[in-house]
Amino acid sequence: MSPEIIIRLKGVAVRRDDRDILSIDNLSITRGERVAFIGNSGSGKTTLMRMLKGYITPSRGQVEVMGTPVPLGSRSRMRMYHRQIGMIHQHFDLIERESVWQNVYHGRLGYVPLMRSILGRFNAGDRDICMRALKEVRLEDKLYRSARTLSGGEQQRVAIARTLSQEPTIFLADEPVSSLDPALSEDILDLLVTICDAYRLTLLISLHLPELACRIADRIIAMKAGKIVWQGLPEELSEEKIWEIYGRGEGKGEGNERLERANGFHMDWGHGSEVHPLPGS
Amino acid sequence: MMPPDWSVWDVLWRASIETLQTTIAGTFLGALLAYPLGVLAASNWTPAWIHLPVKAVMAFIRSIPLLILALLFVSAVGLGPFPGVLAIAVHSVGVLGRFVAEEIEATDPRPLLALQGTGASSIQVIQHGLIPQVLPQMVAHLAIRFEMNLRDSTILGLVGAGGLGFYVFLYIKQFQWEKTGVLCLAIIFLVFAGEFVSWQIRKRLI
Repeated sequence: MSPEIIIRLKGVAVRRDDRDILSIDNLSITRGERVAFIGNSGSGKTTLMRMLKGYITPSRGQVEVMGTPVPLGSRSRMRMYHRQIGMIHQHFDLIERESVWQNVYHGRLGYVPLMRSILGRFNAGDRDICMRALKEVRLEDKLYRSARTLSGGEQQRVAIARTLSQEPTIFLADEPVSSLDPALSEDILDLLVTICDAYRLTLLISLHLPELACRIADRIIAMKAGKIVWQGLPEELSEEKIWEIYGRGEGKGEGNERLERANGFHMDWGHGSEVHPLPGS
Repeated sequence: MMPPDWSVWDVLWRASIETLQTTIAGTFLGALLAYPLGVLAASNWTPAWIHLPVKAVMAFIRSIPLLILALLFVSAVGLGPFPGVLAIAVHSVGVLGRFVAEEIEATDPRPLLALQGTGASSIQVIQHGLIPQVLPQMVAHLAIRFEMNLRDSTILGLVGAGGLGFYVFLYIKQFQWEKTGVLCLAIIFLVFAGEFVSWQIRKRLI
């Protein structure tokens, strides 16, 4: 039996200012798969994530998620769709003045009738789901701490718990570790993998660093200028391929320095083709 | 003005209470109208055909001096504290509404989008996302407005809108400077007390 395709994109484009900022001819993702999108800033990763989340309407083409064309017409159907697609962001996007517990409760808002949510009445089932989510991210001892008093890694864990309490089918992570240090980044990514495996969620994650993508993904998709330029298994991602994806001689930016550090090689911007190992790597 | 004539104690007490009541009623009546109007005036929440006219109305209200408003209400509803309450309420709508709109416009939209992404409705996003983000500033603005209204309401009596100002004006006309001095001391005390309360509230919130 072939695996169930949960996301299917055909001839999709997002157009802004008379140019396609995203253009994907064909893309299929199967249920339970872990797919990492890599590429430079502005390569279209976030646009793709936001389109799948339903925040951006494609200018043309067909987006099908869980067998349904997106975007859905009515607002109420869109709300139900949002519940199914969890998303975490680079800046965590919590309500910082609220407690950890309240932030995780927010994940249940899509399920709670309006009057009950106005009165702040959540039932025991909602509480259990939130508590389970908090245990998954190991924050059950910080329930009543204000979100703004937490560290970056803890805030991202709250965001993961909030998304988990939505009971999503698909988990989108848009550069979830960009503002975290390397150790915390690995911790958060390991947590994401554990959770997605445990709940059999489909994980789509955008990352700047190919090393991190190789660490967690079943499949890597490389993007450049809004297009998919390469896809394959993590072990197929060679250094030469990374050069091609991230561009060569386009200026040595901070991102490229991080890329070098993460991958243990040095980019020779003056001469182009040579790849030198870093001292001690 | 010296020495102060404390025989006006009864008048002083009654007028101070009236000034305080006028301020509290006017400020909270104004806030009741200002908060929803402020939401309507926020350009990131409502379309231009709603927020532009609402902003224009609030700017028009702000452009009318409080004493002129009080004069208008005195001629409309008669002498006493009630026109003072109305004048303070209307003036507060203009000022507080603008603060509310500006706070909402300055709110970080990303947490709100993240809430919408959980499947929350617009009302739920306002209740669980917007209000927690802006509430401390809203209350702080209300405290400042209360403090300023208290100061303003002490002089509303000059145009017949009750309170301490009415008696100050009365005693000045009668050249009873010792009694005027006592009332002026009461005004200073009230304004200081208002500032202290407002400062304490803001200190705890921000």
